[in-house]
Amino acid sequence: MNFVSEIGHLLITSSLWNQALAAAVLLLLPALGGVISERSGVVNIAMEGMMLTGAFFAVVADLAWHNPWLATVVAMTAGGLIALIHAVVSIRFRADQIVSGIAINIFAAGLTVFLLRRIYGIQDVGHIGASDLLPNLDIPGLNQIPFIGHVFFQQNVIVYVALVLLVLIHIVLFRTRLGLRVRAVGEHPQAADTAGINVYLIRYGAVITSGLLSGLAGAFLAIGVSNTFVPNMTDGRGYIALAAMIFGKWTPFGAFVACIIFGLGEAIYANNSIIHVSAYLLSMLPYLLTLIVLAGVVGRSSPPAADGIPYVPGSE
Amino acid sequence: MAQGLALPASSVLFAFVVGGLIVLATGGNPLVAYQGLVCGGFGAFCTQGENPALQISNTIVFTTPLLMTGVAVALPFRAGLFNIGAEGQLLVGSVACVAIGVRFNSWPAPILLPMVLLGGAAAGALWAGIAGVLKATIGAHEVVTTIMLNYVAQWLVRYLIIGGPLQLRGGYSVSSPIGLGAQLPTLLPQSNSLVIFGLPSSVYRVHAGLLIALAALGIFAFLLWRTSLGYEIRAVGQSQKAARYAGVSVQRTIIVTMLIAGAFAGLSGAVQIAGVDHNLTDKYFSDSTGFDAIAVALLGLGSGIGIILAAGLFGALHAGGSVMQADAGISSSLVGVLQALILFSIAANFLSAIKLRLPGFGRAPRARPPDNPAAAMMTEAAATPPDDGMTVT
Repeated sequence: MNFVSEIGHLLITSSLWNQALAAAVLLLLPALGGVISERSGVVNIAMEGMMLTGAFFAVVADLAWHNPWLATVVAMTAGGLIALIHAVVSIRFRADQIVSGIAINIFAAGLTVFLLRRIYGIQDVGHIGASDLLPNLDIPGLNQIPFIGHVFFQQNVIVYVALVLLVLIHIVLFRTRLGLRVRAVGEHPQAADTAGINVYLIRYGAVITSGLLSGLAGAFLAIGVSNTFVPNMTDGRGYIALAAMIFGKWTPFGAFVACIIFGLGEAIYANNSIIHVSAYLLSMLPYLLTLIVLAGVVGRSSPPAADGIPYVPGSE
Repeated sequence: MAQGLALPASSVLFAFVVGGLIVLATGGNPLVAYQGLVCGGFGAFCTQGENPALQISNTIVFTTPLLMTGVAVALPFRAGLFNIGAEGQLLVGSVACVAIGVRFNSWPAPILLPMVLLGGAAAGALWAGIAGVLKATIGAHEVVTTIMLNYVAQWLVRYLIIGGPLQLRGGYSVSSPIGLGAQLPTLLPQSNSLVIFGLPSSVYRVHAGLLIALAALGIFAFLLWRTSLGYEIRAVGQSQKAARYAGVSVQRTIIVTMLIAGAFAGLSGAVQIAGVDHNLTDKYFSDSTGFDAIAVALLGLGSGIGIILAAGLFGALHAGGSVMQADAGISSSLVGVLQALILFSIAANFLSAIKLRLPGFGRAPRARPPDNPAAAMMTEAAATPPDDGMTVT
């Protein structure tokens, strides 16, 4: 079988798209968080750290209480709290947001291993039983639709949540007053302030939301896709999400398309018998593609005007 | 001078206090933890009979690459550029060093050693140069491009030594060792019979890379303050617009700055291979020297002396981490937590912010110019109009 026909054949199998969608969602959640945070004017390169923190606390909570739902809430809370540090440091103290983001990532990598050793000693964390994982869920009726049913309606519960959030965040951001405020704060905080919008409140909310979403992604990674925690298990996914956000020009659906492209690449590689390139070389692709996009080959993408600039009341 | 030391010193203090609270909250004894850290880093207050000279030697080994990568971050800071790609540049420098040092492993040191070091520097320069060119020509934000380049480099290393061309035959995720001629000598003779400070001299791993690193710092300071290029770099960092009026080519300066920075980082990767490891191992997958370097540059306030002090501190923390883990049972990853806390503190300038608020308590804080180096450097850059190439594209 030649290359084109095998890949072509793969692309019409529903299981490939099913896997691609699951892989995409893992990136989509932090990418959506990034979109929200940066739309409000706070640069966020800390999704990696927030996601890692979420993954860790999801496993700790799930092992303790054997309840994946509670564990997911704990993971989101942990992500939100880490995001709160980023928010306080970069909004209240007007620190450089890139430095703060780097610090978050270093902090999360250090803290999770530190706590891991405090709680579990030098042993492994242990594995989470199948019944305590975030479950796969078939949507009755819809899962019988040929092709579409397998791709969209036989997925992990978090996939559905993520797709609903995608639509919801798009609507909120572009069709509601709250979304208009978020975008106004990110484009021209002085004008937004004059119009009576609480710039700080919006930015705090946006950054914390990005933490909640990244924490959710961490839970999906640790107690959905996987069933344990290992140090640095996010392995750059938060940065791929950052890439997807830029790739998608700071829009929810743009980021989703980028995530699907990355996820599809992963799924094709996992299922084909023809491409013999090292998996490690292939792992460069999301970053290389983003560099190409940044180089302006596929049209320009610009961040919100006030992205990364701390807001000082009364300044111009 | 005392004024200049206040911010870094208070940031370190802040980090140790909060880090101590974290240890305390998780049922550990922070004093015991820090005792291990100080013992491992400086050879003082040791309880398990550690040899002070050996501990200090270890700290210097950890400090050496931080000096060079610190420069690789500090120099672009002066031009208003944030190079968070020192890690990727270091990695490709190591790769180049290994590739050359293995390929020509029988060549004599006078030829091979300069080749691997210059090769590493050239690879790092190239890697950073990509970000520099994209920034200067298209305006792609160097933070984003260098993040992407970091990960490309990281996966490249994994590929090369796991199933790739540099993998040692029969070995798992290690490369072949570089030739003897590519190795940097240790500063003390590698003898088992010569006893220095109570131990055979072969245990002291301090190598000639330290001299290279100190020379790199000298070049950094000379370049920045005594050459026209240094003037141009500082001018561009102050205001791109003003620099342009003064006849400085902003684009050229950005590219040259990134090339030089990348060369320092690449050199540090090559020195680490040539002086310490002699081959690429899976240790390089999780290397964080290039990120530590950001803290070094910020804590050192971008000056040569400051970088030496800050790199020494982080070198001591890394060397101390393993002793703390062994003696006090506190995971060495506490070092990462401390480092992050230092970064938060220096970026946010917590203490002075609190001090400034005290008199007018309850009133809205007055608009004030950014008073920490990172913010000053970055807002300067960020405040330039989009036509100056600051938009992320």
